[in-house]
Amino acid sequence: MRLSHVTLGISTAAILISAGWFTLRALPEKSTSITLTFHAEMGGAPLVYDQFVYDNPGGPGTFRVRDFRFYLSNLSVAKGAETYSEADSYHLLRFDNADRSHSITLTDVPLQSVETVGFLIGVDPEANSSIQPRGDLDPNSQMAWNWEVGYKFVVFEGALRIGETVSPVVYHVGFSENARQQSFAIPSDSQVDGDVQVDLTVDLAKLFNGATRIDMETLPSVKFDRTDAKDLADNYADMIAPKF
Amino acid sequence: MFRVLLSLTAAALVFVAAWVVWDRARGPTATPIADFSAPFVFGRFSVPADNPLTQEAFALGRHLFYDPILSGNNTVSCASCHLQALAFTDGRAKSPALSGGVLEFSSMSLANLLWGQERFFWDGRATSLEEQALIPIQHPDEMDQDIDALMVELRASIKYRRMFRRAYGDVTAENTAKALATFMRMLISSDSKYDRYLRGKARLTAQEEHGRKLFMAHPDTKVSLRGGNCIDCHSQFLTSGFRDALDGFSNNGLDPDGTLPDGLMAVTGNSAHKGFFKVPTLRNIAVTAPYMHDGRFKTLEEVMDHYNDGIVVSDTLSPLILEADNAPDNGPDTIGLRMTPEEMAAIIAFLHTLTDEVFLTNPQLSNPFDGDT
Repeated sequence: MRLSHVTLGISTAAILISAGWFTLRALPEKSTSITLTFHAEMGGAPLVYDQFVYDNPGGPGTFRVRDFRFYLSNLSVAKGAETYSEADSYHLLRFDNADRSHSITLTDVPLQSVETVGFLIGVDPEANSSIQPRGDLDPNSQMAWNWEVGYKFVVFEGALRIGETVSPVVYHVGFSENARQQSFAIPSDSQVDGDVQVDLTVDLAKLFNGATRIDMETLPSVKFDRTDAKDLADNYADMIAPKF
Repeated sequence: MFRVLLSLTAAALVFVAAWVVWDRARGPTATPIADFSAPFVFGRFSVPADNPLTQEAFALGRHLFYDPILSGNNTVSCASCHLQALAFTDGRAKSPALSGGVLEFSSMSLANLLWGQERFFWDGRATSLEEQALIPIQHPDEMDQDIDALMVELRASIKYRRMFRRAYGDVTAENTAKALATFMRMLISSDSKYDRYLRGKARLTAQEEHGRKLFMAHPDTKVSLRGGNCIDCHSQFLTSGFRDALDGFSNNGLDPDGTLPDGLMAVTGNSAHKGFFKVPTLRNIAVTAPYMHDGRFKTLEEVMDHYNDGIVVSDTLSPLILEADNAPDNGPDTIGLRMTPEEMAAIIAFLHTLTDEVFLTNPQLSNPFDGDT
């Protein structure tokens, strides 16, 4: 009799514990999914490749774009003081596709909603000095320079035409000091039921026209000169903006 | 006594018959290749989920690769144009065509195909090794084999029936392609002096190290950086073309617009790709002469001369080649790297550190029909 009471007690406790466990477990964990879609533009219109349709911003001639790509890293989203940072967050953004866009989706973000988004244009110093592949970082890719310098952060390649003369324009911007932090408030209407869709523009024209206005004739190439690289970095720091 | 013998014989027959039935009925053995490893500096790679690397697939692929049964007249094998001692090239500018004359392109080296571009052939027309494998077999000027006729021939062989069964199941064109792809994926060259240097097991000579630095540098006269500009197309560790999208294809200034071949444009239809060819691996480059998609350069010295002052301008020429120059007085008539003879010799010395004698002589990659296997 006594034994059966003990058994009954233990069984009841076990049932209660497991019931509680399952009840609590079944409570929906509030999480959010967020998609950032970057649209490559030149001065407000979708980017056009391989055609001499753009004016040299600071001098004579027209230019064409053969390649434009950059690293976006250390992506984080926040609501108030709560921040979620993506792991191994290294994205190579390139736009040589039909809709000139590149999307990044973060699923199961453990925040009830998202108010701000932040990232680096470029690569943080620690990853930039490593040959470990992670995210889109690949030491055997076109974005790798060499062990001493690290990765190219922003690549623009094209050609300038003045009269009948066509000459190459090559801007490869790297060096850890040229990573630029950006953060934005997310437009309030971009969130529907835990699913956030944010459209952003990447305006390549800003690379050539910001604090410094570039004349491609006098500056056909930027690679390892640190002053030139910094000027372009200060320009590209403003090239991404949310669409409203 | 006779009855005992008869019983024993009957028992033996039943056993053999049962074994034969069981051996045929069971599925493929598919033993994963156990000791497979590759240097981490080669980076990530992927193997198709429906064609995992197995010992049985490798053994079958190796036999098929070296077997002239794959050609229409049973005289040409894959190895006829891909010789191990030459890093799986054939030492010719262009291989002879069955109908006379020569083929359109030079025979490509087969090494480290798990990495680098995911398109194959000089013009990138195949998007997987499985797709690639069947194309030369059926090409009228290469192996000129009807694929269904080949299946009939292979099914007539007890050995091949058994090897297919163990690797995949049936003798089919799809499984033939898979086996050849597996063999090609296992052609891994990772024991050159450069690899040992990367592992900290070897030292480069002063000249080789000078060449390595030049290989890795895009010249920038503004900061007095001299460079051979190789890394703009050949990745620093693999030395192949880049993997991402079509980054591993380039126009390296061989021909003017008027005679520029289509190259990748024939596949993509994009005129911005005219004259683009697959950037090859430089692994074992010292033994894979002659060079370029058409084998036009006989020596590495000729190749260096091309990049130094022989670049031919065309509309799709890589701007990185057009722009790279080691001389500060960049005039419009000088297109090339303009390095010193010592610098060119240093780059060639570095290229020789990419020769991997272990790969070139590895008996596991050799002809299985030679001697015992």
